[in-house]
Amino acid sequence: MILPGDLSKIRSLEEVFLIRFRLDKKSKVPLLLVVFGVMLILFAILNIVLGSVRISLHDLVRVLLRQGENAVYDKVVWDIRLPRTLAAILGGAALAVSGLLLQIFFRNPIVDPYVLGVSSGATLIVAILMLTGVVLEMGTIPPYLLSVGAFAGALAVVILIVAVSGRVKQVVTLLVIGLMIGYVCGAGTTILEALAEKENLHNFVLWTMGSFSGFGWEQVSVLAVAGGVLLVIAYLLCKPLNALLLGEDYARSMGVNIKSLRVVLVLIASTLTALVTAFAGPVAFIGLAAPHIARLTLGTSDNRALIPATILLGAVITNFCDLLARILFAPVELPISAISSLIGAPIVIVLLMKRRTSL
Amino acid sequence: MNVMQTKELSVGYDGRTVVADINLEALKGQFICLLGPNGSGKSTILRCLAGLLAPLHGSVFLKDNLLYQMDPGDLSRTMAVVLTERLSPGLITVFEITAMGRYPYTDFFGHLSREDEEKTWEALRLVGARDLAERYFNELSDGERQKVLIARALVQEPEVIILDEPTTYLDVKHRLEVMEILRELSRKKGITVILSLHEIDIALKSCEIVLLVKNGKILASGPPEEILSEEMVAEVYGIESAHFSSCLGGIEMSNSGGAQVFVLAGAGSGAPVYRLLNKYGFSIITGVIHENDIDYYVGRALGGAVVGEQPFEEISLSNIDQAASLGRQAEYIVDAGYPIGSLNRRNVELARRLMAQDKVIYSLRSRQEFEALYGVDGNKPVYCPNLGALAQRLSRRKK
Repeated sequence: MILPGDLSKIRSLEEVFLIRFRLDKKSKVPLLLVVFGVMLILFAILNIVLGSVRISLHDLVRVLLRQGENAVYDKVVWDIRLPRTLAAILGGAALAVSGLLLQIFFRNPIVDPYVLGVSSGATLIVAILMLTGVVLEMGTIPPYLLSVGAFAGALAVVILIVAVSGRVKQVVTLLVIGLMIGYVCGAGTTILEALAEKENLHNFVLWTMGSFSGFGWEQVSVLAVAGGVLLVIAYLLCKPLNALLLGEDYARSMGVNIKSLRVVLVLIASTLTALVTAFAGPVAFIGLAAPHIARLTLGTSDNRALIPATILLGAVITNFCDLLARILFAPVELPISAISSLIGAPIVIVLLMKRRTSL
Repeated sequence: MNVMQTKELSVGYDGRTVVADINLEALKGQFICLLGPNGSGKSTILRCLAGLLAPLHGSVFLKDNLLYQMDPGDLSRTMAVVLTERLSPGLITVFEITAMGRYPYTDFFGHLSREDEEKTWEALRLVGARDLAERYFNELSDGERQKVLIARALVQEPEVIILDEPTTYLDVKHRLEVMEILRELSRKKGITVILSLHEIDIALKSCEIVLLVKNGKILASGPPEEILSEEMVAEVYGIESAHFSSCLGGIEMSNSGGAQVFVLAGAGSGAPVYRLLNKYGFSIITGVIHENDIDYYVGRALGGAVVGEQPFEEISLSNIDQAASLGRQAEYIVDAGYPIGSLNRRNVELARRLMAQDKVIYSLRSRQEFEALYGVDGNKPVYCPNLGALAQRLSRRKK
């Protein structure tokens, strides 16, 4: 039997634990960032050495130092796995930060990077390219065209949203507009799907599942340069982003220029997503889960710690998921979105249940 | 020197005016309150004063600058706000949220200097929230949250603080604490406090200037002692079933016209009895009570028929007669256990006359006291040792 006295004791013990936990916070954040960093390196290496062709660590070092004698290893590492791994790192980071920015912007924890309709715009254009006869009788559509088309579609939505974002009174309106754009594009896509030929449809559906398999060095460098710049800008915004945690009114009263912050945030978040979607298609859940996992493990919403943690975690999770997608049912490659959802959702639920505070 | 001033200000949304012709002058350290019914536009006015909603017409001056042309940084160093919306800032501690008020003073990444940290602790101490510093904001109660938000505003080192209904959602203890903190800010720190309130009594007791807002205009403004009359409050809130008493500084629900009860009272013994009777739907007749007696004010505020006597005069026979004739209609008599002195000794006579009639009598006096005072003629009274017992019997009567 639990007496009231015991209950209060339990509470105070918990309190003691919490206070200790908090006191450690200052040292906890850098420690966790290092842990995430080590995990990232670990998964990146695994992602390069594992697969249908297994490469020993020893060989990997030699290949990376350009001292390998095995031409197959050279090709597998340099042409396929290394760019793909880097793409997963950069893409994961971009999606995760995009999700984080939008979660802060909309003050809504269940927002993800696609909420503004960015991927729907990309998907629609890709559907037009893949499912209609627009691309003449070229047989196969060159991948760069798909990327350009997807990016154009995503960017069109971004421009539309940004144009609206300065004008709406409440951000929720923007959220609804984003959803509506998503529905409209989705409608267009389903119509095309209904009218499409079977073979084209199969390829298209595969594209919509998302994959980092299409990355070569060119795509990676585009993602690295553009995404890198945007990630740095996102970090530079951490002070106004923190103020935004209190809502737009408080932020304004502290001197934040809300109108321009809105535009910049939407622009960065959407462009980050558009970049990834252009090359990898829509990749689900990373943008939703990574910020949550970062927030809950760090125990803070302070963006000065949260943005780096989200970048690292997004990269770690994406790498891990990509690895599983590749090797679980090899030679069949699973859609990465399926893996990320399967792994991410339980983690978020467990972390949320353990926490007494609401997000 | 006026810190904030509005000239022919009209506020509203989308060109639709909510409140027009606002001419407000707020001096340094003044405590100003907006009163008015829900939806009267108090929040809209405050949003405009806070720089969150551009005026439709007219202008707002903050220390002789046009507020809506000020640099956002300068503005945030001069004015801070506490809003009504419920915050959910995520995993942010009380200290962190308070320190956010340093926003206009910190560097590009928002690092806190030693001075910033000291000021944050000082503000938390001032609102009595130091012990909460390491807690997450989301874990706090409404009262604690409000104090922390005031601390956050304070850390901004403003000359004006604008608060939209800072006492809503709070229990009595926190309500008083919050008002006390705000009064301290205005008195000791010379901060001008502009806020909206729901509680007229709190406004009367804490504010220097009150603005009554109704039907799109400022109905009256000035010291609450001057403008918060019974009629004015009734007009502003459109209340008919309740009365505001400026002497009592509060609202009393007025009589609903049930069975009549004559209350023998005085020296404050009557007030709780009146409220009790009123709650159970009885109408009140009471007397004879001196006009400087609290029972006189409460009885009147409740809409009872009160026979009064000039202050410090002995109760006249004519008033006794008047009370007795009014008392004839009463079904019950309640002796509230009033003290008897030379000026009200004739009330004993009145009691005897009323009790001689066939009425149910309730006495809050003990049997010995009652019999010693009135003798033992007439109906036997029902002795109630306290108000609770009286309430029980009355509620039975009602059924």
